[in-house]
Amino acid sequence: MILSKESQDFLENLRLYLVSSGKNESESEEIISELEDHLYEAEKSGKNVEDIVGRSPKDYMEQVAGEMTFDRKGIMKYGGIIIVLAFSYLLLGDVVRGGIELSLLEALGYPLIFISFTLLTAGLFRHLASSKKNKTKEWTLIGIVGMTPILLFLGLIYLNKVIGTPSVTFSFAANVITVIATITVFVITALWIKSLVTIMIPALLYLPEVLLGFTNYGEETQLLASTIIMFGGLFIYLLLMGRKDVNKTGAL
Amino acid sequence: MSSSQILKGILEGCLLSIIGKGETYGYEMIEKLNDYGFSMVKEGSIYPLLLRMKKEGLVATHQKPLPSGGPKRKYYTLTETGEKELIEFKQRWDAVSTSVDRLLEEEG
Repeated sequence: MILSKESQDFLENLRLYLVSSGKNESESEEIISELEDHLYEAEKSGKNVEDIVGRSPKDYMEQVAGEMTFDRKGIMKYGGIIIVLAFSYLLLGDVVRGGIELSLLEALGYPLIFISFTLLTAGLFRHLASSKKNKTKEWTLIGIVGMTPILLFLGLIYLNKVIGTPSVTFSFAANVITVIATITVFVITALWIKSLVTIMIPALLYLPEVLLGFTNYGEETQLLASTIIMFGGLFIYLLLMGRKDVNKTGAL
Repeated sequence: MSSSQILKGILEGCLLSIIGKGETYGYEMIEKLNDYGFSMVKEGSIYPLLLRMKKEGLVATHQKPLPSGGPKRKYYTLTETGEKELIEFKQRWDAVSTSVDRLLEEEG
């Protein structure tokens, strides 16, 4: 016998809720497998998930989360890596487009945008995991949260033009060092998470532009070709990744 | 006052007593509670409580594979602190229940 769809959904939502509340992963897995065991036994005697967790899954998730410790070390680790990755990716883009020129406003603004976006996303996931399903509302919220960093980035670019803050222009050597440093970051994270994704995404985004720069094609042809290769490459890569994931879950 | 409000503070003591009778797991605790007539306890509510009791060092847990060979099951045992807490709970409960009984009988 396997668990009912409702119980499985509840456990999945609980996992999402605990992870986006910053709870320790192994502690979360422990309580989830314990509840899974309970639900399994309870369903054998004809009870359903509502009999176990009560009428409000949200209240129950809050109760469980309230008794668990906030995984500060884990959050700092992952948060730090995300910020370093995002910064590497932005800086590499700057180098490709002719060299880094970083103002104080940008140096402070970018991390702030990453952090606020991460917090917003975590809040969104908590909400999606614990609230009753309502497709229109869900997609509206996802849209708003998805748009926020774009708006913030545009705002930052605009402010950067209007307000002059001290800025540094990287020398040729500094640019080269930055490229080496960012590529090292991408490779190390790829090894660490055992996935090529942190290498493939920047490679697909920037390599076509760089390589085509060495050719004799006109600027417009270059731009067009690099855009097509970039989007085509990303599309194919994500498609392949998606298929791999499906195979993985299918095998389980 | 609903029975769940009365129960809140008492449930921890009851779980200490059940675990004190020998190592046990979540679903079995609920079954035992039901056997004693605690049908008002919402099944899931013991888990946040067990998490807290573990944090306070009253209980210890270990995983054991199921005889049927399925996923591992989490068993609870009392720690020394837990046993002391159980003794204290019994004393406190004796005092409270005698007083409440005496008071309510007079009304009868």
